[in-house]
Amino acid sequence: MAMLQIRNLRKCFDGLEVLKSVSLEVEKGDVVAILGPSGSGKTTFLRCINFLETADEGELIFDGEVFPLHGATRKDIGALRKKTAFVFQNYNLFRNKTALQNVTEGLIIGRKMPKDQANALGMRMLQKVGMADRADSYPNQLSGGQQQRVAIARALATDPEIILFDEPTSALDPELTGEVLAVMRALAQEGMTMLVVTHEMNFAKNVSSKVVFMEGGVVVEESDPTAFFQNPKQERARAFLKTILGEERKE
Amino acid sequence: MNQRLLGILLDSFPKILLPGLTMTIPLTVISFSLALVIAVVTAMVQFANVKVLKSIARFYIWVVRGTPLLVQLYVIFYGLPNLGVMLDPFPSAVLVFSINEGAYCAETIRAALESVPKGQLEAGYCVGMSYMQTIRRIILPQAMRTAFPSLSNNLISMVKDTSLAANITVMEMFMVTQRIASRYYEHLALYIEVALIYLLFCTVLTKLQALGEKKLNSYGAN
Ligand SMILES: Nc1ncnc2c1ncn2[C@@H]1O[C@H](COP(=O)(O)OP(=O)(O)OP(=O)(O)O)[C@@H](O)[C@H]1O
Ligand SMILES: [Mg+2]
Repeated sequence: MAMLQIRNLRKCFDGLEVLKSVSLEVEKGDVVAILGPSGSGKTTFLRCINFLETADEGELIFDGEVFPLHGATRKDIGALRKKTAFVFQNYNLFRNKTALQNVTEGLIIGRKMPKDQANALGMRMLQKVGMADRADSYPNQLSGGQQQRVAIARALATDPEIILFDEPTSALDPELTGEVLAVMRALAQEGMTMLVVTHEMNFAKNVSSKVVFMEGGVVVEESDPTAFFQNPKQERARAFLKTILGEERKE
Repeated sequence: MNQRLLGILLDSFPKILLPGLTMTIPLTVISFSLALVIAVVTAMVQFANVKVLKSIARFYIWVVRGTPLLVQLYVIFYGLPNLGVMLDPFPSAVLVFSINEGAYCAETIRAALESVPKGQLEAGYCVGMSYMQTIRRIILPQAMRTAFPSLSNNLISMVKDTSLAANITVMEMFMVTQRIASRYYEHLALYIEVALIYLLFCTVLTKLQALGEKKLNSYGAN
């Protein structure tokens, strides 16, 4: 059985149906790339999975354990968040904490891990993303790419079973996307399960194990990356690829 | 300047400064500290949308900001005895100044809390912290940093406002100056003298504020 199943996720914002019964299955070790035009509901979908947004309907099954996506108890929410980590488009590093403190804060305060243990783990995670030498820097002293790598270290430190990425490179200058994508690629190779909303077609093509194409709040197409990029089944997916790949060629 | 006047000014300087150090400053420090506690609580219940408490907080701020400080002092010191509640001058002043200042600082802190990006709270949730943990460790420290210049302003205003306590017989700098002035009939010189001492106090605070801001900016954030 799939590690994570999402069933019939529905979400409205002030009467506007943004997600119309979305379902998805993710196997352990999967790297799922979620593609789609702006406003198709990709961010909302990720946020509902982590209860940052409350869905109107739907359920989530994680390792056989069922969580209602609407009306979940505080305990459910806490339990689910423990299994997941979130990497935001604009990093959201704690601005009053150093890089290392950003990684350890949740461990020490949220999980009551002893401080030296948390610091050791934090340094290991920073090392992993190549940021150990900047452990004492504050977010505003780091470039966007460096901040996003610290954010990934922070996500890793909580030992999640899946990491949700919401366009992790789209706030970055083009020359800084590479360092973040390299870290994500390394994670994928280690077998980390990831759900990645992205506009990086190369990442989707070369790193992901599955592509999900969303538009207008529904999953239009779900297939393996080679098939999706060479021969998309749906007309809308074909149109999307044509636009986005055309733009990439222009650049 | 004639000899007599110079003598009076020199003679009165320590007499005015002393209550400045023993009354004006303690009154300011105690009242402002209490005001900050009131302000953080009042700002928090509004920020966190705690149902009944939020209405109470709004009511408190409405009343305090809509009535003169001097009238508030009179109500507490001269008014409460009608209900059988007699407070000494100093505690009355502390009570009024902290409640008054608390309302203004609460608005400053609430605005600062609201200026912290929502993503900071969400990031806290995502690393397994609770609402209160994230507020305490992440949101409030950032808000206090944002609020620091305004709060410093409030503190400086308060130093000057403590002169109103003369009206309820607190023996602070201004009260003492009034007495000396009427004894020697040298109002202009003595009131300018006390004004300069207030100016001195406020100048020191302004310098401290600049130092504080520099320190806050130098270690990252924003
Ligand atoms: N908090 C909100 N309140 C109201 N409407 C919202 C809110 N968040 C998102 N929406 C709407 O929901 C729809 C889907 O938004 P969402 O951010 O999920 O799209 P997206 O696929 O992530 O787009 P993008 O590629 O631009 O990030 C949009 O029409 C958006 O305007
Ligand atoms: Mg989005």
